[in-house]
Amino acid sequence: MGVALGDIVSSEEIGMNELEGKVIAIDAYNIIYQFLASIRQRDGKPLVDSQGRVTSHLSGLLYRNSNLLEVGIKPIYVFDGKPDIMKEGTLEKRKERKVKAKEEYEKALEEGDLERARTKAQQTSRMSKEIVESSDRLLELLGIPVVYAPAEGEGQAAHMAQVGDAWAAGSQDFDTLLCGCPKLVRNLTVTGKRKLPGRNEYKEVSPELIVLEEVLDELGITREQLVDIAILCGTDYNQGVKGIGPKRGLKYIKKHGDLEGVLEERNEEVNNYEVIRKLFLEPKVTDDYGLKFESPRVDELKEFLCEEHDFTEDRMQSVLDKLSAVADSKKQSKLFAFS
Amino acid sequence: MLKAEIKAEILRDVVEIIQTIVDEVKFNFEEDGLSLKAVDPAHVAMVELSLKKEAFINYEAKDTELGIALNKIDQFLKLSSPSDNVTLEHVDDENRLVLKVNNITQKMPILDTAGMTDPSVPQLDLPINVKILGKHLQTGVKASQNIADHIAISVNKEGFEMFSEEDEDSVKLSISKEELEEIAASEDVRSLFALDYFSNMIKSVDSNKVVTVELGKDYPIKLQFDFADGNGQVMFLLAPRIESA
Repeated sequence: MGVALGDIVSSEEIGMNELEGKVIAIDAYNIIYQFLASIRQRDGKPLVDSQGRVTSHLSGLLYRNSNLLEVGIKPIYVFDGKPDIMKEGTLEKRKERKVKAKEEYEKALEEGDLERARTKAQQTSRMSKEIVESSDRLLELLGIPVVYAPAEGEGQAAHMAQVGDAWAAGSQDFDTLLCGCPKLVRNLTVTGKRKLPGRNEYKEVSPELIVLEEVLDELGITREQLVDIAILCGTDYNQGVKGIGPKRGLKYIKKHGDLEGVLEERNEEVNNYEVIRKLFLEPKVTDDYGLKFESPRVDELKEFLCEEHDFTEDRMQSVLDKLSAVADSKKQSKLFAFS
Repeated sequence: MLKAEIKAEILRDVVEIIQTIVDEVKFNFEEDGLSLKAVDPAHVAMVELSLKKEAFINYEAKDTELGIALNKIDQFLKLSSPSDNVTLEHVDDENRLVLKVNNITQKMPILDTAGMTDPSVPQLDLPINVKILGKHLQTGVKASQNIADHIAISVNKEGFEMFSEEDEDSVKLSISKEELEEIAASEDVRSLFALDYFSNMIKSVDSNKVVTVELGKDYPIKLQFDFADGNGQVMFLLAPRIESA
């Protein structure tokens, strides 16, 4: 999902400790989808509680955030609002893919092919109201602020970084960069392993920082031109021009200056490209949000996880202890606060 | 340039005091003596220390800034007895400090001080000033260590108090006004501190020495005392815990 610009966008490794004290606006849907896809049982079924409610995302959010809080990172979660009408095509296609994946999953299960079942199951992950609400509740108990974007979370995260409320955006997608986010952190995780999409393989990863200005300088283009490259390659709002990936897109845009020139030379069309451009260049955002970082409420968390959602108490102990330590450390003031 | 000779026990005091806050420090050897400032990585505690050249047996220095790993000096001092004389030598532009005691010569690398900026000492207006014997503070800490991770320090019209509680247990050390060396208090105050930080600081106090304690309400505590026959001055600052949060 999102725009695959990895081939032309260079990043630098950044240690978790360098992120201490920094506010990072995390694209909530992006990360929750990752958890829904990757946190599953052997046969591909998501984790569920005794009432059959999916809890994979809760497990992911709990462990990921307790690690972030432990190193002193201040996450903010930015949820998507209403998707733009332009995204309907993509959403429709995703829905179709999920229906198909579900059929294939069931078939693979019948045939006893667990590995394939798992892969297919991962492609069926869906966001529901229940998942958003339980995520919101968990984040609240962790003391992490939540922001609801008027439209896409990426645009809102970019805006918050632009106005200085966040140091960077946190997402695996590059869309925040297109939306003008000055800094993007990818692989915001301590454990250092990420599942490769569609495969049962893991890759060692560490956090990386992408600085928009440096990317544009290095490529010798403007942000507008980067957006045009993305449109050529395909975004959540359009399919892209066949045969053009980021590298060729970059060449074309540098040659012609803008999308119009490239389309003219290739005699191609992209419907509504001006609207799509605007979605990235002027995303719908809000300034109506509060950012209050609070201490984790460990007792309530325990109740929420173990009683409401049937997490095993023994297995939660170490993460709850970690969060208690986080809550405790927040009570210690710093000397410079008094000068 | 630095060429100095000092009693091993004084150097050990210096190292012990600073080690309660940091592992590496920037020593400033000026013409009239040694000075340094350091803040712990979490920015919770700070130490400021000065040692006049009179504390040394011989002392000759000119604007010498040396970044030193304290555990190396600590280990070196273990080769000496308290009354031994230790010499410290540094030649400008050399990247090593040379220490000698008895028949031992040890050279240790100078650390890059670029990252060791002098912290600015917060200007605090603390309403309470109490002078108290080190041994009282040490007893209070010992009592608290048995039961809690935090210690509340307060001053009211009765005198000075150190208090800790955890679940059903509580312990209090009270020092009446009469038992204090001096008290200047215009209001009742109380602040809570992390016991591990506080006990480390108190450890480096001589039990028969008078410690000047400055205190406020939910405010940092300032401890001051001298060592090396009055030629050394130490100031510790410790940020409080916020009880309501």
